[in-house]
Amino acid sequence: MLNSIIAGLTSGGVYALLGLCVVLTYRLVAVVNFAMAATGAVGAFTMVSLTEAGLNVWPALILGVAAGAALSGLLGAVLVRWFSGHDERTKAAVTVAIYVALMAAGLRIFGNNTSGARAFPRPFDSPAFTVGDVVVPQAVLVSLAFAVLITVGVTLLLSRTGVGLRLQALSERPETAQVVGIPAPRLAMAVWVAIGALTTLVILIVAPRLGGDFSTLGGLIATALAVAMVGAFRSLPLTLLGGILLGCLEGFAAFWEPVQQYRGVVPFLVILVLLWWRSRHEVWDTAHSR
Amino acid sequence: MKRSLTSIVAVAALALATSACGGDSGTDGPIKVGAINGITGLFQTPEVPKAVQAVFDEVNKAGGINGRKLEFITKDDAMNPQRSTEAAIDLIESEEVVALVGSSSAVDCGLNRATYSNNKIVSIPAVGVDATCFTSPNIAPVNPGPFKLITAMLYYASETLKRDKVCMYYTVLPGSGGGIENAIKEWTDITGKSLTVKDLSVGQGDPTPYLVKAKAAGCQAILYNAQVGPWFAQAATQGMTDVDFIMGANSYTDANAALIPAKINAYAGTEWQPYTDATLPGNERWSKVVDANKIQRTAFSQGAVMAADVFVEVLKGIKGDITRESVTNAFKNMKPIQYPMVGTPYVFGPGNAHNPIEGSRFVKVLNGKWQVLPEGFIVPGKN
Repeated sequence: MLNSIIAGLTSGGVYALLGLCVVLTYRLVAVVNFAMAATGAVGAFTMVSLTEAGLNVWPALILGVAAGAALSGLLGAVLVRWFSGHDERTKAAVTVAIYVALMAAGLRIFGNNTSGARAFPRPFDSPAFTVGDVVVPQAVLVSLAFAVLITVGVTLLLSRTGVGLRLQALSERPETAQVVGIPAPRLAMAVWVAIGALTTLVILIVAPRLGGDFSTLGGLIATALAVAMVGAFRSLPLTLLGGILLGCLEGFAAFWEPVQQYRGVVPFLVILVLLWWRSRHEVWDTAHSR
Repeated sequence: MKRSLTSIVAVAALALATSACGGDSGTDGPIKVGAINGITGLFQTPEVPKAVQAVFDEVNKAGGINGRKLEFITKDDAMNPQRSTEAAIDLIESEEVVALVGSSSAVDCGLNRATYSNNKIVSIPAVGVDATCFTSPNIAPVNPGPFKLITAMLYYASETLKRDKVCMYYTVLPGSGGGIENAIKEWTDITGKSLTVKDLSVGQGDPTPYLVKAKAAGCQAILYNAQVGPWFAQAATQGMTDVDFIMGANSYTDANAALIPAKINAYAGTEWQPYTDATLPGNERWSKVVDANKIQRTAFSQGAVMAADVFVEVLKGIKGDITRESVTNAFKNMKPIQYPMVGTPYVFGPGNAHNPIEGSRFVKVLNGKWQVLPEGFIVPGKN
């Protein structure tokens, strides 16, 4: 059993990264972005398509990240320009619509999971160390380090810098922020572009472990949302912890025969249990605050 | 009153006349043949109808069948159940096709088997996907199908590769669990052996927990049918270089061969002669058809050429009018056809279930490409 849990830990780092991207988008621009993983997947597949066409890996990486950033920027522009006055539910619904459109288009352009399996670069697949029977690859350490870096870096950015302060103002009260002179639309666009670039990088790291086809990678949003729930869409350290926890849970589910068949349901169960747990003291008909 | 009665009689007579010749496309116009293919959606086989059309074009250019041309009508069901059932009804009732030839849909057999039986029409799919393609009275595909293939893969692992601990890590489509159990039982009945691990829960997500379990169980050969890239990348990381991984025909693609790390032993069972070697028996004919018509070289296009060839041969043997009835009779009473691209002769026959093609050839990945192994067709119990 311990082996399976450790084996699950190896994917925990990448789940944490995905969750962090969701939480960051929510904290900085107040949108639950369902299209996040699909946007990153478009960037990642752009990169892979370019390397397969013969382009060197580094320029391909830059172009792929730029494609993810541009697509995310486009989504951000739509939300900033046409939906800035709307509530979070409407914005989330817009991203759901974009998600459906991106998945359909991506499946058509990049193929299904048999014909569309692509050779993503695997720079960190060498073994780092062995625990019991499990060989832990360098990718696990890289994704965990990347997740910690994001958590610490963004926490410091938000709490210790002027830009961070403006970003928080933008997230909490965009109209008021604009009144006091913060260039809200421009700042929001910058956040969308940065999140797009970051998500593309994360998808490129997770692709060799979790799937080389568009539908699998775009569908990772379900796991990302479950992880973000653990951090209540606010706490970056709790999100990091949630990712690792979910990875271990999945590893355990693969080991324990009665629940083996339902391994894919684990993220949804986590969401359900957390929703129930968090709402246990709530009083009927009170306003929910985020 | 008299006038309206006359018109009712006239309409009734016309309706009777139409229904009398329904289903035979007439006896002097083109012979209409239908197919339901997945062109869009999750199960895509666009090359299949193109290859069937290419064979029919060849026949038409040579004068057709008894002077009648073959007209091929294909419908895309996009793996959508409603579209699939509508396509079958449209082909049978509106287009009045005499048979279905070269279908390749993931949902057609299960949804339309009763329609085919009720209309006394036969279907010769290029690719039979689910269990009902092999257990219906009026359907007989030209491929062994996933279940006969499992038996052949198990047999290859235990008898040819001589592996004692054979394991199975599969992802199961809804409704195919029973077919898998039967396939395993058939192997056990022939060899007296049983699986060391059977895990039918493999899905998306990190494969490491499954690989670690397989390592702990001492699996020497592993049957596997899910996503190729992550599974083999992590198998290489976990150092599983002494395990023989055997994949199903769905994984036998050039893109997948390129994803397998060099140190991993990865095999695939094929349903026809491996398509990556055009010189194999039966493949010359197929490669000539697909190359001349610029059709993608895939295993599915082999099934398409075979289904069309078998159909044409049976049609040529029909004496008298070619109608739906005469075509169905001809298939139910046909003699087996030796087709070198498969392991056993093709025959439709009168029974309530049809799985005439058995056996599989095996290929192994070497430097990112499939290499054909020398054993020939492995037919469980006969090699």
